[in-house]
Amino acid sequence: MLGQLFAMLIFPAGLFVLANGLFYQWVDRKLMARLQNRLGPRWFQPAADILKLLANEEVIPDGVNGRLFHALPVVALAGAMTAMLYLPIAGLKPLYNFPGDLIVTVYLLSMLTLCTGLAGAISRDRFSLIGATRALTQLFSYEAPFLLALLGPAFVAGSWQIDEIMAHAGGQWLLLTQPIGFGVALIGLMGKLEMAPFDAPEAETEIVAGALTEYSGRGLALFLLGREVELVGGLTIIAALYLGGLHNPLDYALKTGGLLLVVASIQTLMTRLRIDQSVGLWWRYGALLVLAQWLLLLAWQGVGL
Amino acid sequence: MEQERFTIPIGPQHPALKEPGHFIFTVDGEIVTGASVRLGYAHRGIEKAVESRNWVQNLYLLERICGICSHIHAMAYCLGVEKLAGVTAPPRAQAIRVLVAELERIHSHLLWLGVAAHQAGFETLFMYSWRDRETVMEILETLTGNRVNYSANILGGVKVDLDQQIIETILHGLTFLEGRIHFYLELVSGDQVFLQRTRGIGIATQAQAERLGLTGPTTRASGIGRDLRADAPYAAYLDYPIRIVTEQEGDLEARFKVRLKELLETIRLIRLLLDSLPDGELKSRMPRRIHAGETISRVEAPRGELFYFIASNGGDQPARIKVRTPTLSNMASVTALAVGLHLADMPMLLTGVDPCFSCNDRLMTVRNTGESSIWTWEKLRHYGIEYYRKRE
Repeated sequence: MLGQLFAMLIFPAGLFVLANGLFYQWVDRKLMARLQNRLGPRWFQPAADILKLLANEEVIPDGVNGRLFHALPVVALAGAMTAMLYLPIAGLKPLYNFPGDLIVTVYLLSMLTLCTGLAGAISRDRFSLIGATRALTQLFSYEAPFLLALLGPAFVAGSWQIDEIMAHAGGQWLLLTQPIGFGVALIGLMGKLEMAPFDAPEAETEIVAGALTEYSGRGLALFLLGREVELVGGLTIIAALYLGGLHNPLDYALKTGGLLLVVASIQTLMTRLRIDQSVGLWWRYGALLVLAQWLLLLAWQGVGL
Repeated sequence: MEQERFTIPIGPQHPALKEPGHFIFTVDGEIVTGASVRLGYAHRGIEKAVESRNWVQNLYLLERICGICSHIHAMAYCLGVEKLAGVTAPPRAQAIRVLVAELERIHSHLLWLGVAAHQAGFETLFMYSWRDRETVMEILETLTGNRVNYSANILGGVKVDLDQQIIETILHGLTFLEGRIHFYLELVSGDQVFLQRTRGIGIATQAQAERLGLTGPTTRASGIGRDLRADAPYAAYLDYPIRIVTEQEGDLEARFKVRLKELLETIRLIRLLLDSLPDGELKSRMPRRIHAGETISRVEAPRGELFYFIASNGGDQPARIKVRTPTLSNMASVTALAVGLHLADMPMLLTGVDPCFSCNDRLMTVRNTGESSIWTWEKLRHYGIEYYRKRE
């Protein structure tokens, strides 16, 4: 019992994921900074940001449902943290599993965006409203291709349970056989995390901070933490399904770290897409390509049988 | 049912603006259906202040109208006052003026490139172009002692001179910058993702550019070859003519390309200038009092035509100086071109004209009574107090 609580709250889920998220956020920022010829932040900067925000006053704007305003960041973080229970964090076996936990995990990872969208929509601020509209529009466009891309490996394994898919792959890199799925999943993750070039929902030069414009202090800190947890979760799930699974801590660090490097490079290379352009990109290319790959997989299975 | 209008305010305080201006965009979803602009938040009363300072003091005050194109203001003022006094600066001084003005153009356009990239969300280009801008700022510092507000001009000439070592430094820096500008030119006309945000967006046709009275690179991007350096040459541009760079499309991409190609032309001109710099004096003698009269002085600032009206009543202080900066002429294009574009295009459209708000803001009262009146300090103060009381 105590061991289970430790595993849930401290390691590998819980505190460890938070620390890992803060560290990966720093790695992301530092890599981007170096690629952009800047110095970048010191290693404790993300943690310092969160601590500072937690200590700050939280302003509740007029005309907002106070209970919802407080609850949304908590739900967002809780959703993301719950998803971690089903993932092979730090290369260890997932804490819990059941048939179909892949789907649950993906939907738990979407909680953050939903909560962000709601947080923007309950506010009367115009920037928040536009940001919320964009965040939800983006959610509806990347969610389907992202899910389809993650279901590719599941389809091959014949199971919707993350550790079974990993076991079935047996160390083989599905990236080689399903490159389209991998690409779409990675791009989908970047959309989920509102990273450049998919940062239209929080485009600073248009709508200030998007849906979270009115958030300050603790609420903002929890949302930011939620995003960092989601970064860890997203990288883990993609590495687990496409990069031959995660079998030990070193394996985990190398594979997720490598993915982070790719993500940081893409962020550095791109101009922010307009929301209509990113929606078009996902539906016109992402979804269609994944569907094409699905057809190929089906055909392959048909031949194999 | 009448639909309520949803407006997005950009400014007076907004991350997209580094200076205060107020743009109100009416949107239908993501599409802009109307735009209006309100300026005047950075009015500093410089035009009034110059009337109580002497001709030399004003040089330093007017140079501070713009933090980026500072030299060109001092140059326009000097050329105007010299014309009024009937003095001509020596050829070497005129050449050095042009040299600093052209170096300033590189500084200004690279700064603009970074800001425009930032508005589009392309942080890497922003960081790179600002890093490269340091090269030209260091050149200017070597030459004049300052990174901005170079204060190279004095009435009747210049106060900085070039020696062989400085010329070497400048040429060395220019070689580096030329390579970088070629790279940026390739980038803004070749990067597919970036082109999605610039090509065909905010097109100002030639007719529109004429009607809106656009000026500078903004008008040259619409295919109108208008450049005061060629149309009404001043200072050393008579001896060192420039070639006007134009683009036909009139969209944001063309504005990027026109500014970068202009820099290549600027680099050519600087090399030519350094190659055959005239010898001689740096300054002509200027009288302390300028005899009564009035004149206009027009120069091509990095952003477009800069206009000075200078009137003297024979004293050691000007009677009136009126400045019109290019931003004011270009501002109309933002509201005219915004309708039908996406909200996401607005920051870029706005930056496309390279706005400089504090240069542009003046106090203006328009009345139809036909009477003229003078605003005394007391009257202005009361007006201000009353104005803000009424708004509360």
